[in-house]
Amino acid sequence: MNITLKYFSWIRVKLKKSHDFIELNQTTSFKKLKSNLISKDPIFQEIFSDKSVKYFLNLNELEDENKILNNGDVLAFLPPVTGG
Amino acid sequence: MIKIINESFDLENEFKRLNSSENGAYSFFLGTVRSEIRSLNKNIKGIFLECYEELAYTQLDKIRNIALKKWKLSECLIIHRIGKLNLGEKIVLIITSSSHRTDSIEACEFVIDSLKIDVAFWKFHLLDNGEKEIVPQKKKDKEKILKWREIIN
Repeated sequence: MNITLKYFSWIRVKLKKSHDFIELNQTTSFKKLKSNLISKDPIFQEIFSDKSVKYFLNLNELEDENKILNNGDVLAFLPPVTGG
Repeated sequence: MIKIINESFDLENEFKRLNSSENGAYSFFLGTVRSEIRSLNKNIKGIFLECYEELAYTQLDKIRNIALKKWKLSECLIIHRIGKLNLGEKIVLIITSSSHRTDSIEACEFVIDSLKIDVAFWKFHLLDNGEKEIVPQKKKDKEKILKWREIIN
């Protein structure tokens, strides 16, 4: 199963990349994915601890940590926006 | 009409798109890059605007549809630029048109206030020392959108 991660603003700067393509062997919830990412890179601990960061799954805001991710999903990490 | 673009735009041309004898009022909001001093010895020479375009289009479409439903508008145009912009350059344009001024004025204010809080754009200051500084979200912008949510809901 393949998932695309998109990073913006300070998260993109901190990670030094705008996206990741990750492969998962089995069905995973957003909560499990978070643990998985933290174990690979401690920067994700800081990201997930920041309550102002929002997560969008396939362009819809993701609020349920137990949401199951599917093959081809796009998960975006959005710090507070500042357009206009 | 909604556009997210790199290049600049012409105000008169955009107005002509909406101009109709059925309208009696047009409200414009034009946001530009200003030379704000963030801290001692740090001046801004421009900004960089980052965007998650796919999401921003859907968010702007939602805001525009709310405005068209809430107020008696004939049109609502939103243009937002992305990329590197110099001081004084145009960033964002909103034009609302209606028969009477109250609808266009209120809707225009609603759209820009919503855009600042609910659309996937991120602003960076380009400092004259070569650094990029992330622009934080303003508390007053968050407070403004809470007021609109009470009115809309």
